[in-house]
Amino acid sequence: MRKSGFWVAYFLLLVAQILLSNYFRFTPYITLSILPVMVLCISTRIKPYVCMLIAFGSGLMVDWLSEGVLGLNAFALVPVALLRNPVIHLVYGEGLFTRKEDFTVKGHGVAKVIMAILMVQALFLALYIWADGAGLRPFWFSLARFFASLPAGLVVSLPTLNVLAADPHR
Amino acid sequence: MKQRAITGWINFAVFLVLEIASLHMLRHNGDMQKAWLARGSHWVMGTVWGATQRIQGYFSLATTNQQLAQENFQLREQLLQAQEKLQQLRADSLQLVPRPGFSLTLAVVTKMSRNKQHNYLILNRGYEDGIQEKSGIISQNGVVGIVDAVSAHYAYAFSFQNSDISISARLGAEGETGLLVWDGIHPSGAILKEIPLQQQYHPGDTVFTSGHSLLFPPDIPLGIAGASKIVNGATSEIEVRLFQNFSSVRYVTVVHNNAFDEIEEFEP
Repeated sequence: MRKSGFWVAYFLLLVAQILLSNYFRFTPYITLSILPVMVLCISTRIKPYVCMLIAFGSGLMVDWLSEGVLGLNAFALVPVALLRNPVIHLVYGEGLFTRKEDFTVKGHGVAKVIMAILMVQALFLALYIWADGAGLRPFWFSLARFFASLPAGLVVSLPTLNVLAADPHR
Repeated sequence: MKQRAITGWINFAVFLVLEIASLHMLRHNGDMQKAWLARGSHWVMGTVWGATQRIQGYFSLATTNQQLAQENFQLREQLLQAQEKLQQLRADSLQLVPRPGFSLTLAVVTKMSRNKQHNYLILNRGYEDGIQEKSGIISQNGVVGIVDAVSAHYAYAFSFQNSDISISARLGAEGETGLLVWDGIHPSGAILKEIPLQQQYHPGDTVFTSGHSLLFPPDIPLGIAGASKIVNGATSEIEVRLFQNFSSVRYVTVVHNNAFDEIEEFEP
Protein backbone atom coordinates (compact mmCIF):
# COMPACT_ATOMS: atom_id res chain seq x y z
CA MET A 1 0.00 0.00 0.00
CA ARG A 2 1.27 3.43 -0.92
CA LYS A 3 1.46 6.36 1.50
CA SER A 4 -1.57 8.62 1.63
CA GLY A 5 0.31 11.55 0.09
CA PHE A 6 1.42 9.52 -2.94
CA TRP A 7 -0.42 11.55 -5.57
CA VAL A 8 0.71 14.88 -4.11
CA ALA A 9 4.30 13.61 -4.23
CA TYR A 10 3.69 12.29 -7.76
CA PHE A 11 2.48 15.69 -8.93
CA LEU A 12 5.39 17.50 -7.28
CA LEU A 13 7.83 15.09 -8.93
CA LEU A 14 6.14 15.80 -12.26
CA VAL A 15 6.94 19.48 -11.69
CA ALA A 16 10.49 18.42 -10.79
CA GLN A 17 10.72 16.54 -14.11
CA ILE A 18 9.61 19.67 -15.99
CA LEU A 19 12.38 21.60 -14.23
CA LEU A 20 14.85 18.81 -15.02
CA SER A 21 13.91 18.96 -18.70
CA ASN A 22 14.24 22.73 -18.79
CA TYR A 23 17.35 23.36 -16.75
CA PHE A 24 19.39 20.17 -16.46
CA ARG A 25 20.43 19.64 -20.04
CA PHE A 26 24.20 19.63 -19.90
CA THR A 27 25.04 17.59 -22.97
CA PRO A 28 23.12 16.06 -25.90
CA TYR A 29 24.35 12.66 -24.72
CA ILE A 30 22.39 12.65 -21.46
CA THR A 31 18.62 12.61 -21.10
CA LEU A 32 17.53 12.82 -17.48
CA SER A 33 14.11 11.40 -16.72
CA ILE A 34 12.39 10.29 -13.55
CA LEU A 35 9.14 9.56 -15.38
CA PRO A 36 9.75 5.78 -15.80
CA VAL A 37 10.39 5.28 -12.09
CA MET A 38 7.37 7.42 -11.22
CA VAL A 39 5.18 5.13 -13.32
CA LEU A 40 6.88 2.09 -11.82
CA CYS A 41 5.93 3.27 -8.33
CA ILE A 42 2.19 3.60 -9.05
CA SER A 43 0.34 1.04 -6.95
CA THR A 44 0.02 -2.40 -8.57
CA ARG A 45 -3.65 -2.39 -7.63
CA ILE A 46 -4.30 0.30 -10.21
CA LYS A 47 -5.38 -1.34 -13.44
CA PRO A 48 -2.82 -1.26 -16.30
CA TYR A 49 -5.06 0.75 -18.65
CA VAL A 50 -5.57 3.39 -15.95
CA CYS A 51 -1.83 3.41 -15.35
CA MET A 52 -1.25 3.89 -19.10
CA LEU A 53 -3.65 6.85 -19.11
CA ILE A 54 -1.79 8.38 -16.14
CA ALA A 55 1.53 7.80 -17.93
CA PHE A 56 0.16 9.33 -21.13
CA GLY A 57 -1.09 12.40 -19.24
CA SER A 58 2.18 12.76 -17.33
CA GLY A 59 4.25 12.46 -20.50
CA LEU A 60 2.06 14.93 -22.33
CA MET A 61 2.32 17.46 -19.50
CA VAL A 62 6.11 17.30 -19.57
CA ASP A 63 6.09 17.50 -23.39
CA TRP A 64 3.83 20.51 -23.32
CA LEU A 65 5.68 22.48 -20.67
CA SER A 66 9.26 21.68 -21.49
CA GLU A 67 10.26 19.49 -24.40
CA GLY A 68 8.73 21.38 -27.27
CA VAL A 69 8.00 18.09 -29.08
CA LEU A 70 4.48 17.10 -28.21
CA GLY A 71 4.02 13.36 -27.81
CA LEU A 72 7.66 12.39 -27.28
CA ASN A 73 7.59 11.57 -23.55
CA ALA A 74 4.05 10.24 -23.83
CA PHE A 75 5.11 7.88 -26.62
CA ALA A 76 8.00 6.46 -24.59
CA LEU A 77 6.16 6.30 -21.26
CA VAL A 78 2.98 4.41 -22.21
CA PRO A 79 4.87 1.14 -22.95
CA VAL A 80 6.56 1.50 -19.55
CA ALA A 81 3.11 1.61 -17.97
CA LEU A 82 2.00 -1.42 -20.00
CA LEU A 83 5.04 -3.51 -19.03
CA ARG A 84 5.24 -2.25 -15.45
CA ASN A 85 3.45 -5.22 -13.91
CA PRO A 86 5.51 -7.84 -15.83
CA VAL A 87 8.68 -6.03 -14.71
CA ILE A 88 7.56 -6.02 -11.06
CA HIS A 89 6.52 -9.67 -11.43
CA LEU A 90 9.92 -10.57 -12.88
CA VAL A 91 11.92 -8.74 -10.22
CA TYR A 92 9.81 -9.27 -7.09
CA GLY A 93 7.96 -12.48 -7.94
CA GLU A 94 4.30 -13.54 -7.74
CA GLY A 95 4.11 -13.07 -3.94
CA LEU A 96 3.73 -9.33 -4.16
CA PHE A 97 0.59 -9.64 -6.30
CA THR A 98 -0.85 -12.48 -4.22
CA ARG A 99 -0.48 -10.48 -1.02
CA LYS A 100 -1.77 -7.37 -2.85
CA GLU A 101 1.26 -5.41 -1.68
CA ASP A 102 3.34 -2.72 -3.30
CA PHE A 103 7.11 -3.00 -3.34
CA THR A 104 9.14 -0.72 -1.06
CA VAL A 105 12.84 0.07 -0.93
CA LYS A 106 13.15 -1.00 2.70
CA GLY A 107 11.07 -4.15 2.39
CA HIS A 108 12.54 -5.59 -0.82
CA GLY A 109 16.16 -4.47 -0.96
CA VAL A 110 18.15 -2.05 -3.07
CA ALA A 111 19.49 -4.60 -5.58
CA LYS A 112 16.00 -5.51 -6.81
CA VAL A 113 15.03 -1.87 -6.89
CA ILE A 114 18.03 -1.03 -9.08
CA MET A 115 17.22 -3.91 -11.41
CA ALA A 116 13.60 -2.75 -11.79
CA ILE A 117 14.68 0.86 -12.40
CA LEU A 118 17.23 -0.20 -15.01
CA MET A 119 14.61 -2.24 -16.86
CA VAL A 120 12.02 0.55 -17.08
CA GLN A 121 14.66 3.21 -17.76
CA ALA A 122 16.14 1.11 -20.57
CA LEU A 123 12.73 0.64 -22.19
CA PHE A 124 11.87 4.33 -21.85
CA LEU A 125 15.25 5.57 -23.14
CA ALA A 126 15.31 3.18 -26.10
CA LEU A 127 11.95 4.48 -27.32
CA TYR A 128 12.64 8.12 -26.41
CA ILE A 129 16.04 8.28 -28.13
CA TRP A 130 14.77 6.44 -31.19
CA ALA A 131 11.78 8.78 -31.59
CA ASP A 132 13.79 11.90 -30.72
CA GLY A 133 16.45 11.15 -33.33
CA ALA A 134 13.72 10.34 -35.86
CA GLY A 135 16.18 8.09 -37.70
CA LEU A 136 18.36 11.07 -38.64
CA ARG A 137 21.15 10.58 -36.11
CA PRO A 138 23.95 8.02 -36.50
CA PHE A 139 23.47 4.75 -34.66
CA TRP A 140 26.64 5.22 -32.57
CA PHE A 141 25.32 8.55 -31.28
CA SER A 142 21.99 7.04 -30.21
CA LEU A 143 23.83 4.14 -28.58
CA ALA A 144 26.22 6.48 -26.73
CA ARG A 145 23.25 8.58 -25.65
CA PHE A 146 21.47 5.49 -24.37
CA PHE A 147 24.42 4.20 -22.34
CA ALA A 148 25.22 7.65 -20.94
CA SER A 149 21.60 8.33 -19.99
CA LEU A 150 20.97 4.96 -18.34
CA PRO A 151 23.27 5.41 -15.29
CA ALA A 152 22.37 9.10 -15.07
CA GLY A 153 18.70 8.11 -15.02
CA LEU A 154 19.41 5.56 -12.30
CA VAL A 155 21.07 8.23 -10.15
CA VAL A 156 18.07 10.58 -10.32
CA SER A 157 15.59 7.70 -10.03
CA LEU A 158 16.83 6.37 -6.68
CA PRO A 159 15.81 9.41 -4.60
CA THR A 160 12.54 9.55 -6.55
CA LEU A 161 11.81 5.96 -5.68
CA ASN A 162 12.69 6.68 -2.07
CA VAL A 163 9.96 9.33 -2.04
CA LEU A 164 7.26 7.38 -3.89
CA ALA A 165 7.96 3.84 -2.68
CA ALA A 166 8.76 4.60 0.94
CA ASP A 167 7.56 2.15 3.60
CA PRO A 168 3.96 3.29 4.47
CA HIS A 169 4.53 2.34 8.13
CA ARG A 170 7.60 4.52 8.43
CA MET B 1 -9.99 -16.77 -17.14
CA LYS B 2 -12.36 -15.07 -19.59
CA GLN B 3 -12.31 -11.94 -17.44
CA ARG B 4 -8.52 -11.91 -17.61
CA ALA B 5 -8.54 -12.21 -21.40
CA ILE B 6 -11.00 -9.31 -21.69
CA THR B 7 -8.81 -7.17 -19.40
CA GLY B 8 -5.81 -8.08 -21.53
CA TRP B 9 -7.58 -6.95 -24.68
CA ILE B 10 -8.71 -3.70 -23.04
CA ASN B 11 -5.13 -3.00 -21.94
CA PHE B 12 -3.82 -3.71 -25.40
CA ALA B 13 -6.49 -1.53 -27.02
CA VAL B 14 -5.76 1.39 -24.67
CA PHE B 15 -2.05 0.93 -25.33
CA LEU B 16 -2.57 1.03 -29.09
CA VAL B 17 -4.82 4.09 -28.94
CA LEU B 18 -2.40 6.02 -26.72
CA GLU B 19 0.65 5.10 -28.81
CA ILE B 20 -1.10 6.03 -32.04
CA ALA B 21 -2.17 9.34 -30.46
CA SER B 22 1.44 10.00 -29.36
CA LEU B 23 2.83 9.18 -32.80
CA HIS B 24 0.19 11.32 -34.43
CA MET B 25 1.21 14.24 -32.25
CA LEU B 26 4.88 13.63 -33.01
CA ARG B 27 4.19 13.46 -36.73
CA HIS B 28 2.08 16.58 -36.84
CA ASN B 29 4.33 18.51 -34.57
CA GLY B 30 4.47 21.48 -36.94
CA ASP B 31 0.77 21.73 -37.67
CA MET B 32 -1.91 24.18 -36.61
CA GLN B 33 -2.84 22.15 -33.53
CA LYS B 34 0.72 22.50 -32.32
CA ALA B 35 0.68 26.25 -32.81
CA TRP B 36 -2.61 26.43 -30.92
CA LEU B 37 -1.32 24.30 -28.03
CA ALA B 38 2.06 25.97 -28.17
CA ARG B 39 0.59 29.43 -27.55
CA GLY B 40 -0.31 28.44 -23.99
CA SER B 41 3.02 26.80 -23.27
CA HIS B 42 4.91 29.74 -24.81
CA TRP B 43 3.21 32.03 -22.36
CA VAL B 44 4.32 29.82 -19.46
CA MET B 45 7.83 29.39 -20.80
CA GLY B 46 8.16 33.04 -21.72
CA THR B 47 7.00 34.45 -18.41
CA VAL B 48 7.79 31.80 -15.80
CA TRP B 49 11.03 30.36 -17.17
CA GLY B 50 12.00 33.75 -18.58
CA ALA B 51 12.18 35.16 -15.06
CA THR B 52 15.07 32.85 -14.19
CA GLN B 53 16.78 33.74 -17.45
CA ARG B 54 16.58 37.42 -16.47
CA ILE B 55 18.29 36.65 -13.16
CA GLN B 56 21.03 34.77 -15.02
CA GLY B 57 21.29 37.71 -17.40
CA TYR B 58 21.82 40.12 -14.52
CA PHE B 59 24.86 38.21 -13.32
CA SER B 60 26.40 38.08 -16.79
CA LEU B 61 25.98 41.80 -17.54
CA ALA B 62 29.71 42.44 -17.85
CA THR B 63 30.15 39.83 -20.57
CA THR B 64 26.97 40.98 -22.28
CA ASN B 65 28.14 44.59 -22.35
CA GLN B 66 31.39 43.49 -23.91
CA GLN B 67 29.54 41.56 -26.59
CA LEU B 68 27.24 44.51 -27.24
CA ALA B 69 30.17 46.85 -27.63
CA GLN B 70 31.73 44.43 -30.09
CA GLU B 71 28.46 44.06 -31.99
CA ASN B 72 27.97 47.83 -32.10
CA PHE B 73 31.41 48.23 -33.54
CA GLN B 74 30.74 45.66 -36.26
CA LEU B 75 27.36 47.24 -37.03
CA ARG B 76 28.91 50.66 -37.39
CA GLU B 77 31.49 49.18 -39.72
CA GLN B 78 28.77 47.54 -41.81
CA LEU B 79 26.78 50.77 -41.86
CA LEU B 80 29.76 52.63 -43.17
CA GLN B 81 30.29 50.06 -45.92
CA ALA B 82 26.59 50.21 -46.81
CA GLN B 83 26.70 54.01 -47.03
CA GLU B 84 29.69 53.80 -49.35
CA LYS B 85 27.89 51.33 -51.57
CA LEU B 86 24.84 53.59 -51.62
CA GLN B 87 26.92 56.51 -52.74
CA GLN B 88 28.39 54.38 -55.52
CA LEU B 89 24.94 53.37 -56.65
CA ARG B 90 23.73 56.96 -56.71
CA ALA B 91 26.66 57.91 -58.81
CA ASP B 92 26.05 55.02 -61.17
CA SER B 93 24.17 55.90 -64.34
CA LEU B 94 22.30 52.56 -64.17
CA GLN B 95 19.54 53.20 -61.64
CA LEU B 96 18.31 50.01 -59.90
CA VAL B 97 14.63 49.58 -59.19
CA PRO B 98 14.25 49.63 -55.39
CA ARG B 99 13.11 46.31 -53.88
CA PRO B 100 11.41 45.76 -50.53
CA GLY B 101 14.46 44.10 -48.88
CA PHE B 102 14.62 42.90 -45.28
CA SER B 103 13.33 44.61 -42.15
CA LEU B 104 15.38 44.16 -38.96
CA THR B 105 14.29 43.98 -35.31
CA LEU B 106 16.60 43.64 -32.33
CA ALA B 107 15.47 41.03 -29.78
CA VAL B 108 16.70 39.34 -26.64
CA VAL B 109 16.65 35.58 -26.16
CA THR B 110 14.36 34.96 -23.18
CA LYS B 111 14.77 31.21 -23.14
CA MET B 112 16.75 28.80 -25.22
CA SER B 113 17.26 25.05 -25.14
CA ARG B 114 20.57 23.69 -26.35
CA ASN B 115 21.03 20.03 -25.57
CA LYS B 116 18.01 18.46 -27.18
CA GLN B 117 17.49 17.18 -30.70
CA HIS B 118 14.67 19.68 -31.25
CA ASN B 119 15.95 22.88 -29.70
CA TYR B 120 13.98 26.07 -29.62
CA LEU B 121 14.25 29.64 -28.38
CA ILE B 122 11.87 32.28 -27.17
CA LEU B 123 12.45 35.95 -27.98
CA ASN B 124 11.13 38.93 -26.04
CA ARG B 125 9.47 40.43 -29.12
CA GLY B 126 6.03 39.56 -30.50
CA TYR B 127 3.66 40.74 -33.19
CA GLU B 128 3.13 44.02 -31.35
CA ASP B 129 6.82 44.67 -32.01
CA GLY B 130 6.47 43.81 -35.69
CA ILE B 131 7.78 40.25 -35.51
CA GLN B 132 6.20 37.93 -38.05
CA GLU B 133 6.21 34.17 -38.51
CA LYS B 134 8.71 32.81 -41.03
CA SER B 135 11.36 35.34 -40.16
CA GLY B 136 15.03 34.53 -39.81
CA ILE B 137 17.04 35.09 -36.64
CA ILE B 138 20.68 36.08 -36.94
CA SER B 139 23.45 37.37 -34.73
CA GLN B 140 26.87 38.74 -35.56
CA ASN B 141 28.12 35.14 -35.76
CA GLY B 142 25.59 33.73 -38.21
CA VAL B 143 22.18 32.14 -38.23
CA VAL B 144 20.45 31.38 -34.92
CA GLY B 145 17.02 30.10 -35.97
CA ILE B 146 13.65 30.65 -37.63
CA VAL B 147 10.55 32.21 -36.04
CA ASP B 148 7.72 29.68 -35.97
CA ALA B 149 4.95 31.37 -33.98
CA VAL B 150 4.37 34.76 -32.42
CA SER B 151 2.22 36.00 -29.56
CA ALA B 152 1.72 39.64 -28.59
CA HIS B 153 5.01 39.96 -26.72
CA TYR B 154 6.97 36.79 -27.45
CA ALA B 155 8.17 34.86 -30.44
CA TYR B 156 8.75 31.10 -30.46
CA ALA B 157 11.46 29.97 -32.82
CA PHE B 158 13.19 26.81 -33.93
CA SER B 159 16.86 26.99 -33.15
CA PHE B 160 19.28 26.04 -35.92
CA GLN B 161 20.18 23.24 -33.47
CA ASN B 162 16.98 21.46 -34.42
CA SER B 163 16.81 18.39 -36.63
CA ASP B 164 13.80 19.87 -38.47
CA ILE B 165 15.69 22.94 -39.68
CA SER B 166 17.76 23.31 -42.83
CA ILE B 167 18.97 26.49 -44.48
CA SER B 168 20.27 27.19 -47.94
CA ALA B 169 24.01 27.82 -47.82
CA ARG B 170 26.79 28.48 -50.32
CA LEU B 171 30.30 27.14 -50.26
CA GLY B 172 32.77 29.99 -50.63
CA ALA B 173 32.06 33.30 -52.34
CA GLU B 174 31.03 31.82 -55.69
CA GLY B 175 30.57 28.12 -54.92
CA GLU B 176 27.70 25.69 -55.13
CA THR B 177 24.74 25.89 -52.82
CA GLY B 178 23.45 23.11 -50.60
CA LEU B 179 21.41 22.52 -47.48
CA LEU B 180 23.05 23.25 -44.15
CA VAL B 181 21.73 21.22 -41.21
CA TRP B 182 22.86 20.79 -37.62
CA ASP B 183 24.80 17.53 -37.11
CA GLY B 184 22.78 16.84 -33.96
CA ILE B 185 25.86 15.99 -31.92
CA HIS B 186 28.27 18.91 -31.57
CA PRO B 187 27.08 22.38 -30.45
CA SER B 188 28.90 24.05 -33.34
CA GLY B 189 28.80 21.19 -35.84
CA ALA B 190 26.80 21.26 -39.06
CA ILE B 191 26.68 19.38 -42.36
CA LEU B 192 26.42 20.97 -45.78
CA LYS B 193 24.48 18.51 -47.93
CA GLU B 194 23.80 18.00 -51.63
CA ILE B 195 27.03 19.53 -52.93
CA PRO B 196 27.81 18.23 -56.45
CA LEU B 197 30.87 15.99 -56.66
CA GLN B 198 32.60 18.17 -59.25
CA GLN B 199 32.59 21.14 -56.86
CA GLN B 200 36.15 22.01 -55.93
CA TYR B 201 36.63 23.32 -52.44
CA HIS B 202 39.31 23.55 -49.81
CA PRO B 203 38.85 22.75 -46.14
CA GLY B 204 38.89 26.15 -44.47
CA ASP B 205 36.59 27.79 -47.04
CA THR B 206 33.87 29.94 -45.53
CA VAL B 207 30.22 28.90 -45.84
CA PHE B 208 27.70 31.71 -46.38
CA THR B 209 23.93 31.99 -46.60
CA SER B 210 23.06 31.61 -50.28
CA GLY B 211 20.22 34.08 -50.53
CA HIS B 212 18.10 31.39 -52.23
CA SER B 213 16.02 31.11 -49.10
CA LEU B 214 13.35 33.72 -48.44
CA LEU B 215 14.29 33.83 -44.78
CA PHE B 216 17.87 35.03 -44.73
CA PRO B 217 19.76 37.71 -46.64
CA PRO B 218 22.68 36.39 -48.72
CA ASP B 219 26.36 36.39 -47.71
CA ILE B 220 26.03 35.96 -43.95
CA PRO B 221 29.12 33.99 -42.87
CA LEU B 222 28.00 30.79 -41.18
CA GLY B 223 31.08 28.68 -40.60
CA ILE B 224 34.21 27.00 -41.92
CA ALA B 225 34.16 23.95 -44.19
CA GLY B 226 35.97 20.84 -43.00
CA ALA B 227 36.22 17.26 -44.21
CA SER B 228 33.84 15.84 -46.80
CA LYS B 229 32.41 12.47 -47.74
CA ILE B 230 30.60 11.13 -50.78
CA VAL B 231 26.97 10.13 -50.33
CA ASN B 232 25.43 7.47 -52.61
CA GLY B 233 28.12 8.23 -55.20
CA ALA B 234 26.18 11.31 -56.29
CA THR B 235 26.79 14.23 -53.94
CA SER B 236 29.15 15.31 -51.18
CA GLU B 237 28.46 16.10 -47.57
CA ILE B 238 30.82 18.61 -46.02
CA GLU B 239 31.37 19.07 -42.30
CA VAL B 240 31.04 22.69 -41.20
CA ARG B 241 32.24 24.27 -37.97
CA LEU B 242 29.77 27.06 -37.19
CA PHE B 243 30.86 30.53 -36.05
CA GLN B 244 27.74 30.75 -33.91
CA ASN B 245 28.25 29.93 -30.25
CA PHE B 246 24.76 28.97 -29.10
CA SER B 247 25.68 28.92 -25.43
CA SER B 248 26.38 32.65 -25.31
CA VAL B 249 23.80 34.03 -27.72
CA ARG B 250 21.57 36.62 -26.05
CA TYR B 251 21.05 39.58 -28.39
CA VAL B 252 19.79 38.67 -31.84
CA THR B 253 18.36 40.37 -34.91
CA VAL B 254 15.12 39.16 -36.45
CA VAL B 255 15.16 39.59 -40.22
CA HIS B 256 11.97 39.49 -42.23
CA ASN B 257 11.84 39.47 -45.98
CA ASN B 258 9.34 42.17 -46.93
CA ALA B 259 8.72 40.43 -50.23
CA PHE B 260 8.02 37.08 -48.53
CA ASP B 261 4.27 37.01 -49.18
CA GLU B 262 4.64 38.26 -52.74
CA ILE B 263 7.20 35.57 -53.58
CA GLU B 264 5.25 32.90 -51.71
CA GLU B 265 2.33 33.47 -54.08
CA PHE B 266 4.39 31.90 -56.84
CA GLU B 267 4.91 28.73 -54.83
CA PRO B 268 2.55 25.91 -55.82
